[in-house]
Amino acid sequence: MKGYHDIVGDGGSRILEQVAEKQNRIADGLAAVRHLVAVGSGKGGVGKSTLTLHLAGALRERGLRIAILDADFNGPSQARMAGVQDAVFVPGQHRMALPRTVNGIAVFSMGSLVPESKALDFDSAAHGDSHTWRATKEFALLGEILASSEWGELDLLMFDLPPGADRTVQYADFLGPRTSFVLVTIPSEVSRGVVARSAAALLARRSPGDGGAKGPNRILGYVENMSGYFCRDCNAVKPLFPPSRNRFNEADSQPTLEIPCLGTVPFDPELARHCDRGMPFAALPDTPVRRALDHVTQNLLDSLS
Amino acid sequence: MKFLCVPCDTPMKLQTVVPPDRGSLSVVYSCPACGYEMAMLTNAYETQVVQSLGVRIGPADAPAKGDGKCPFPGMIPAGDGTAEHRVGEPVPVRWTVAAQARLANIPEFVRPMAKTGIEKFARDRGALEVDETILDAAKDFFGM
Repeated sequence: MKGYHDIVGDGGSRILEQVAEKQNRIADGLAAVRHLVAVGSGKGGVGKSTLTLHLAGALRERGLRIAILDADFNGPSQARMAGVQDAVFVPGQHRMALPRTVNGIAVFSMGSLVPESKALDFDSAAHGDSHTWRATKEFALLGEILASSEWGELDLLMFDLPPGADRTVQYADFLGPRTSFVLVTIPSEVSRGVVARSAAALLARRSPGDGGAKGPNRILGYVENMSGYFCRDCNAVKPLFPPSRNRFNEADSQPTLEIPCLGTVPFDPELARHCDRGMPFAALPDTPVRRALDHVTQNLLDSLS
Repeated sequence: MKFLCVPCDTPMKLQTVVPPDRGSLSVVYSCPACGYEMAMLTNAYETQVVQSLGVRIGPADAPAKGDGKCPFPGMIPAGDGTAEHRVGEPVPVRWTVAAQARLANIPEFVRPMAKTGIEKFARDRGALEVDETILDAAKDFFGM
């Protein structure tokens, strides 16, 4: 009796072919994008989205062509922060044209489609059992957005990832080895621990020759966000987190991140205000925070070259 | 998934797909050698997992039924432009065939919002028809 692999095709449903066609369409659409960079963490609330937008702004200021795909479908924040909440997606000749920020960064965010007062919920045959299929659906949605958006010629397409170490690896699997990762942490043991897990999980993805499925992704490094607090009154950066202590109340070393540090960025309430109002990076005053973002941006570019 | 007619040792061919009924798909396969037919009846989980892949289910030559629709219809305001005009509501805007064809270039779940936004853009400029010129102008405008 014939086995599965003895039979060519699947009798007419073409499920695998359709998935392959979509992957080809994605690859075709991204062919003129020089770098794919995913900004993740594993930990939530560390400022991935803010950092993504400001790095994009700093890169744009250097004359690079940049787009952001807000891959956090359940908590999209780029639409508001980038000022494209009320923008309209317009059909181009072949694909969907994306709205742009005032400084010319193309942005796709579900926040431009779904009002903030509503949660993202999918129509489903398996009512009440979304744990069985939701991740698949979200990645199909990501694929559809990638395949149907007019990316054009870009220097960088940045992905703003959702939290979760497992999710970070799922995105690496989906986006493939072309995508490099930047991990964001804050100076707390808990955050560094979670980010260390994400880094380990990404590094554990083996190359096809070692029996892995798709090969490893590059981790460009990590950024320590909220590394101190920028006080405008004193014009100085002050500590935001207490020094790490172990159970014997001795100074403790934090979980080691064995990946390059791209830089540290202090917390600045003014930066948060800028994001809430959708103001561009160019509007940021020259402060230690802006200089820190510039430093990280340069290190990011150096690591890509 | 593939189906094999065991007596003939012949791969079966997909014949018809009945759209989901209470979460179940009925997929009929037949053996090209002996004509034997069988139906695969999926449960809601199986239906949803396949639908979640974002693929079309059915023979390649069959019209699409029930797939490719907006996956989250409850959240995105509808605006298909087909409603009758009532007093106090925006004046209806027509779409040329070419503009309609271009609308198919964007994902189904983005279309209602895109259509509403583009129609408002047209109305704001005194146009009651969306053609490719309006689309290009909207693209420039929203692309800033």
